[in-house]
Amino acid sequence: MNESGLIGQRVLPQDAREKAGGEIRYLPDMAFPGLLVGKVLRSPHPHALVRRIDASKARRVPGVRAVVTRENTPKVHFGIVLKDELPLAHEKVRYVGDEVAAVAAESEEAALEGLAAIEVEYEPLPAVFDLEAAIAEEAPLVHDNAPRNVPGGVHVERGDVETEMARAYRVVEGRYETPMMHQAALEPICCVADWREGTLSLWGPFQSPFLIRQYLLAAPLGLSLSQIRLYQTMVGGAFGGKLDQRHYLVCALLAMEAGRPVRLLNTLEEELIATRPRMAAIIRLRTGWSREGRLLAKQVRILADNGAYTSLSLPILSSMSMRTDSVYRTPCVSVNADLVYTNTCPSGQMRGFGNVQATFAFESHLDEVADVLGIDPVDLRLANATRPGDVSVHGWKMLSCGLSEAITAAAERIGWTEKRGRARRGGGEGPLRRGVGLAGNMHVTSNKPFATSITGYDFDGSAALVRVHEDGRVTVLTGEVDLGEGVTTTLGIIAAEELGVPLDRVRVANVDTEVAPYGLGTYASRVTFMAGNAVRVAAADARRQLLEVAARVLDAPASELDVKDGVISVKGFPHRRLTVAEAAQRGFALGLTNVVGRGEFHSEPGPMDVKAKYGNQTMTYSFACHAAEVEVDVETGRVRVLKVVAAHDLGRVINRLGAEGQIDGGVTQGIGFALVEELIRTDGVIRNPSFLDYKIPSSLDAPPVVEKVFVETIDPAGPHGAKGLAETAINPTAAAVANAIADAIGVRIRSVPITPEKILGALGTLNGGRA
Amino acid sequence: MTTIRLTVNGEAREAQVDPRTTLLHFLREALHLTGTKESCAEGECGACTVWLDGRTVNACLVFAVEADGREVTTIEGLRSGRARPLIEALAALGGVQCGFCVPGIVMSAAKLLETTPNPTREDVLVGLSGNLCRCTGYQKIIEAILTVAHAPAAAPGGDRS
Repeated sequence: MNESGLIGQRVLPQDAREKAGGEIRYLPDMAFPGLLVGKVLRSPHPHALVRRIDASKARRVPGVRAVVTRENTPKVHFGIVLKDELPLAHEKVRYVGDEVAAVAAESEEAALEGLAAIEVEYEPLPAVFDLEAAIAEEAPLVHDNAPRNVPGGVHVERGDVETEMARAYRVVEGRYETPMMHQAALEPICCVADWREGTLSLWGPFQSPFLIRQYLLAAPLGLSLSQIRLYQTMVGGAFGGKLDQRHYLVCALLAMEAGRPVRLLNTLEEELIATRPRMAAIIRLRTGWSREGRLLAKQVRILADNGAYTSLSLPILSSMSMRTDSVYRTPCVSVNADLVYTNTCPSGQMRGFGNVQATFAFESHLDEVADVLGIDPVDLRLANATRPGDVSVHGWKMLSCGLSEAITAAAERIGWTEKRGRARRGGGEGPLRRGVGLAGNMHVTSNKPFATSITGYDFDGSAALVRVHEDGRVTVLTGEVDLGEGVTTTLGIIAAEELGVPLDRVRVANVDTEVAPYGLGTYASRVTFMAGNAVRVAAADARRQLLEVAARVLDAPASELDVKDGVISVKGFPHRRLTVAEAAQRGFALGLTNVVGRGEFHSEPGPMDVKAKYGNQTMTYSFACHAAEVEVDVETGRVRVLKVVAAHDLGRVINRLGAEGQIDGGVTQGIGFALVEELIRTDGVIRNPSFLDYKIPSSLDAPPVVEKVFVETIDPAGPHGAKGLAETAINPTAAAVANAIADAIGVRIRSVPITPEKILGALGTLNGGRA
Repeated sequence: MTTIRLTVNGEAREAQVDPRTTLLHFLREALHLTGTKESCAEGECGACTVWLDGRTVNACLVFAVEADGREVTTIEGLRSGRARPLIEALAALGGVQCGFCVPGIVMSAAKLLETTPNPTREDVLVGLSGNLCRCTGYQKIIEAILTVAHAPAAAPGGDRS
């Protein structure tokens, strides 16, 4: 392969200047003639029967153009994973925020007035909020068809766990808890819908236009796919939050009722109470170990808070239950994880997809094990780390794996040998104690069982078209989406590299479902690997077509031609040349070809026993180890993260600037999860639905240093050897911080966020009430 | 409706506004200056940062009528001039991912460089603390601002706009 040198460089995204200068338009910046404002009426009750809805007064409010309720919308159950949702509430509401009705009006004021004029009579029902109480026999049911409020779970037995536990030198147990964390993208969830001549059009920052079109619009509306067209707009951050939302359907219903375009734009409060944050969980771990520190057996018990509707929580629970079993060699494992309905906001996917929670629990647990066994945590991890060529307990094949290198690098760069255990050795001045900790992690580069469970097809892949215009510009079309992280730049680099044209001639288009090839969308750290491979194939196909034209024009065999910097020439005869633009034009003129390269990539990880959850999930896996140094003030309980080292096996760096940025962002979100972020709920009501009370890290909370180490394992299946990075960038951070805090203060805190209250409480217990 | 007269990016404007209209909605909807973004709409995120009489404000917390007789500067007024070096540095150094928060950050950073010509890292952290960003972890934004601050060609106060 000849590489021109773009791969691994620092490439700024093409639209970065326009974004910074406010020139790029996001959906809320776009004008639509005749646009109406939509607003949603939400349930004030966590659980209630809807006795009566009367919208007649609302329809008479001046400026109101459409009102939708259960009376004029389909009663069709839908959902990407479980069909447990309705477009709008019928018999029951199930959480505070549940969609009951919606109004479209000429102005926001009129829409709000319309909402206020809708009369709804509720009959409150007993509700369930607590996971352990919800699974009791006598608990009220959130959905009648889910006994004990459990719609599903993950139950996997591999090997004889109890026999191994019995012969273990030590068995260690721990209970870990993680909260609801919100994606908190700065651009709210929003869309515009328009129904015209039998076609429904939607514009918005969709994370997966094709899945949304099929499962969240066509299915509940009873429309064919050809009647729905989605235009993806610039995405102002997503982190999982812009895929599975009922929002799009409600907007479509309003537009169909009004016969006018309608915009629905969440307020921040709506975002924080009703848009599917990271799933809260209680994770119980029990592990058995040999005297030398080999993991012999593992038992996992999870209760996970589904909230009122399932969204993507079953596959998230799979990830939470099983993924850490392939980070370290795990000979046998028993998993029993239950998804539990409660009368709270439905939870959903957020960057990490269950792995953030699981990694916090397991990597905290590993440090506790190291203490019990008297083994250094780095040595314990290295002794058990998965290695290239391994097949894990769940049948996952490690095509490339740089976990050990990542652990070693992270430990070295954080100063492990000098710093670990300092506080315990009496280090620390006054109230300040420093500690270091680390955590490993792996993630998929797509998730075939997840894709298959949604579509019903044995398919996980990506497709691309590469069109060469008459002026030599190149447009890349895929069905995947740039969420802001810059994957279009990555795909542009791959196309430019393959075609031999300058990068500034290549543009990756936003998705228009009518034009773009089918794609599953941007989740599971899949796009660099999947779409990257597809774009390579498509660009190679376009190159072949260009060379075919050039061969005719230059009267030389195609095999003797080369393309560089947008110029095709005969090898050894640089004056016999044709620009790519000329070749594209001559392609038409000679009646040879309109240059459009086509590429597909199919992930073929091997056979999968879906029922047993056994088999390779994806063709390859990414690995990471984060190490953190913290300073804890034992008088105030305040934690400062001083430094994070993020060592990543991402296969190969395509765009160094983008890779570093993903890590910086993931680490900072991970610190948010570790120290501050929690949607606080009492009786099903979220008490902190604002950025004043739901804190996300600010510049003052960012660690002074985030050092990146790239372990480039050059994956055999990846485009130029690349794997994914999006989620390994956040997964291990919180565990590394938690382990560093334990190192600093000598006490383990098993629930995040690790707030000053928890630290002082833990120290109080330790020191008889005196910190 | 109330009549207001104000200067926006150096241009005199007169408009009829509903007294309840925020400066943010007035800028975005009446003047079509959509570079200023709306996110939290409660003064916490800084995406709508503009200058009012030369001081940074969250435009979502100011009523349009409060801007009567005053001078408003938005990203559109700075992007080709004074804020250009910041925009270039933010782009080149990786300070822009989804970009939604960045115009607000540019407005805060441009003001910081004007009032604190030789900022320390701590000055930048404090100067940015009213602008939330969920993508970048702030690292490259901080680096970009410090780079502009300490580049001789981009000395603040220069007549670049």
